[in-house]
Amino acid sequence: MPPLRELQQHIVAHLFEEQTTDITPWISPDGITPVSRLRIYRNNLHEGFIKTLALEFPVVHRLVGEDYFRQLTRSFLKSHPSRSGDLHHIGAPFPSFLRAQFADSEYRYLPDIARLEWACQECLVAEESEPLDPAALRAVPLEHYGTLRLSLRSACRLLDSPFPILRIWEANQPESAASELISLDSAPDFLLVCRTTGRLRLHRLEPGHYRLLASFAAGLGLEEALAASLACDPRFDLGTALRRCIEHRVLARITFHPPRSIP
Amino acid sequence: MSATAAALTPDLSPRSGERSAPRESLRAGIGLRARHHEEILVRLPAIGWLEVHSENYFARGGAQRRQLENLRAHYDVSLHGVGLSLGSTDPLNAEHLREVSRLLRDFEPMLVSEHLSWSSVDGRYLNDLLPLPYTEEALQHVAARVSAVQEALGVQILIENISSYLRYQCTEVPEWEFLAALAKQCGCAILLDVNNIYVNATNHGFDPHEYLHGIPRPLVREIHLAGHTLTRIDGREMRIDTHSTHVADEVWALYASALRRFGPVPTLIEWDADIPELDTLCSEAAKADLIAESCRAAAA
Repeated sequence: MPPLRELQQHIVAHLFEEQTTDITPWISPDGITPVSRLRIYRNNLHEGFIKTLALEFPVVHRLVGEDYFRQLTRSFLKSHPSRSGDLHHIGAPFPSFLRAQFADSEYRYLPDIARLEWACQECLVAEESEPLDPAALRAVPLEHYGTLRLSLRSACRLLDSPFPILRIWEANQPESAASELISLDSAPDFLLVCRTTGRLRLHRLEPGHYRLLASFAAGLGLEEALAASLACDPRFDLGTALRRCIEHRVLARITFHPPRSIP
Repeated sequence: MSATAAALTPDLSPRSGERSAPRESLRAGIGLRARHHEEILVRLPAIGWLEVHSENYFARGGAQRRQLENLRAHYDVSLHGVGLSLGSTDPLNAEHLREVSRLLRDFEPMLVSEHLSWSSVDGRYLNDLLPLPYTEEALQHVAARVSAVQEALGVQILIENISSYLRYQCTEVPEWEFLAALAKQCGCAILLDVNNIYVNATNHGFDPHEYLHGIPRPLVREIHLAGHTLTRIDGREMRIDTHSTHVADEVWALYASALRRFGPVPTLIEWDADIPELDTLCSEAAKADLIAESCRAAAA
């Protein structure tokens, strides 16, 4: 028998179906072959992994169907095994795995659906934070707007896609009938995912509004953010966009760079 | 009821209002699962306490965590880890340990437990509980790990016996001897899973009562009960610890034997797959209470 470390390494390699030493002589048969005994653990490994991903990516699961989803996730398990005792992290690299799989195929929108689902997962467990009090924003004198910076709440994610992923996502919720035909060329999507008071909300944004939030998320000041939004949409209206930010409860804090105190 | 009688009667009602200091309850508890959060908060059933899988509450926010904070105002909570991989030969996962430590600070659990198992090596996790070989090498290794965890968390932890579907040729002692030696060496307590003892006894062919008698009385600070299923592998029966059904009659009988040996021990009903209505879990807990009551009466 090998030392404990080697024993564990060979068992894990066996369960991941990798070339390894024959470990069956280390296991007592007791009426059931060591291979059958190890199969119970391999089965647990697969089922636990697949079940977790199916819960985290229900729309991807529904789009590709049970059999193909199992095939995909087993291949994902081999390249991206769990790296934590907390199984909730395994889905993080799933969108990029799907991107590598489906870059130029009929499923080329699937990685973006997975990104959207992972954004939902992240928002659902993000730290609680109070949305910005609109009065605080109204209290900022106009002459200070140049140095104003706005940060987003931690339970918010932004994502854009050349595909109409929100419509695909909505058409594949448990309560939706799967009969709608959606053209992949219909329109790009600019989305905000946001958890507010325990509920997850998905909003489709105008490109200029999306750019504004992306600029805030990147730490740009209001002046630069506004310029970026106007560059992508000359009709962009800052007042309307900020009102919608308040409605969506997406903003967290006001700061000034350089710092200053509000009178 | 006179003041004296009230003082002598254990308070078995659900707690309300502010948290009191953690205490062990004699009434059986249930494993808390997300689908029951809201119903428990609304109904506040008369159960002893709630046990949570620590890893389900590592997230910084969200509905699940907030509901546990609310439930904590009414019930004692125990933290039951499934992912620390105590028996692994990798370095102890410091990040995981920090998360458990944070939960200890936030929820002031009455008990903290983990498993006598390993689930990872070279940073690759199986997220399952694999048995250790019961050798001197493994004993020294796990004892050092449990000591390190207790030092990091600042509390005594309980180590639980697992269900296993294989045994290693190199195993030197029975599991109960290994578990008792581990507790003696590092000062941990034992969470005795009576269902796991029964499952292993039938799968591996030993007398479950011998297991109970191999565990020194004062070490057992919690008992787990759960349901298992029966399957056939290579033409032989194998019991699988699925936590998906009622506690088996044979396991209830073994539970009574355990209580006769260990005295009253906080008992928990686990049900993790095909999760039933809350009432079903509460009736299983009530059944455990009845058995505990008759054992207490017989002992008196």
